[in-house]
Amino acid sequence: MLARALELTGISTTSISLVREHTGKVKPPRALYVPFPFGHALGRPDDPELQHRVLRAALDLLLEPAGPVLRDLPEDAEPGDQPPAPPQASGIKPAEQVPDDVAMETTQMRRYHERWLEKSGGRTLLGLTAIPATRFRGVVRFLEGFADGQDVDMTERPPELPLPNFVRYCADDLKALYFEGHLAMKPAAGGEEIARWFWGETGAGRLLRRVRDRLDTSDDPRWKAAAFGIAR
Amino acid sequence: MPRLDRLPQISRNNLLTFPAQVNETAPFVRPGKPLAGCRLAIVTTAGLHVRGDRPFTPGDQTYRVIPSDTPTADIVQSHTSIGFDRVAIMRDINISFPIDRLRELVTRGELGGLAPYCYSFMGAQREAARIESATGPEVGRRLAAEGVDVALITPT
Repeated sequence: MLARALELTGISTTSISLVREHTGKVKPPRALYVPFPFGHALGRPDDPELQHRVLRAALDLLLEPAGPVLRDLPEDAEPGDQPPAPPQASGIKPAEQVPDDVAMETTQMRRYHERWLEKSGGRTLLGLTAIPATRFRGVVRFLEGFADGQDVDMTERPPELPLPNFVRYCADDLKALYFEGHLAMKPAAGGEEIARWFWGETGAGRLLRRVRDRLDTSDDPRWKAAAFGIAR
Repeated sequence: MPRLDRLPQISRNNLLTFPAQVNETAPFVRPGKPLAGCRLAIVTTAGLHVRGDRPFTPGDQTYRVIPSDTPTADIVQSHTSIGFDRVAIMRDINISFPIDRLRELVTRGELGGLAPYCYSFMGAQREAARIESATGPEVGRRLAAEGVDVALITPT
């Protein structure tokens, strides 16, 4: 739909499509269907050759004389070793023993995250709350109070941002800290492995399940949406 | 894929009940020159933006501007749906925002150049009337004013 809107203003567009069923209905002017999982539009991370093959196939559609054009990635590009969709929290049984002191665990994780930043050249998905990782103990305390049903807030929450949205950003930043920290420890880990570790073995995972539960008890659809976005 | 039969039930149902718009034809503008002479912008629906810019909220139909020379360390993603694997973009932003690959194409002479700005929207929109009628056309006009010939549209 976005592609159609841009094309109507005179821009030639070519799109990468992950859901053939939808693209076939919407009919963007030019679309390349790729057989990759969500989160992997260009194929695989750190695989420039595969990414270039995908790009080339998408850009080649610009040579077509008429449209709409929906083409499949024209090669046996499905690498065969595709990562499965990450499991959801509800499908992962928590370990009997997970750390009780989440603030302490987060401080430890921050050290791994600093290693991640050194390796990644500073690239991190952390930053939605704009609260630096050095102050994540405060974020953890806030989430713990929230999960306990207390009437808590943080001064860092912008006044126009509803509380459930802010809670979700806190949860997203906490996940980014842990996931990227885990990547620093185990560079080859995939999304499934990290999700199993996070939801099964960390105190933060257990805390976010509780945050989800509190959000989900509300009748407010914005609270329910935040719950659905944090864990399900 | 995601091949629907390989997705968890909840994701599959989400997709099968998605209210996709049905069209029979498409607007179609052929680029007036070969790619080696074209200026290209990425327009992504991955919910990316410059760190410190206002994060997207679910269902947000606004857009963010990402200057093409933004260091990739300064780009974050507030499309955080747990329906997809975010580890890929943690490792390599090119998985949804192939800015380094496009620079390589420019260096090789296969692409004319990168536009000064890329644009970003929120993904997973079940209702996108405002994008269709207002913010999408607005980005199109901005791209046209910036001399852009081709937009590469990428999801997450």
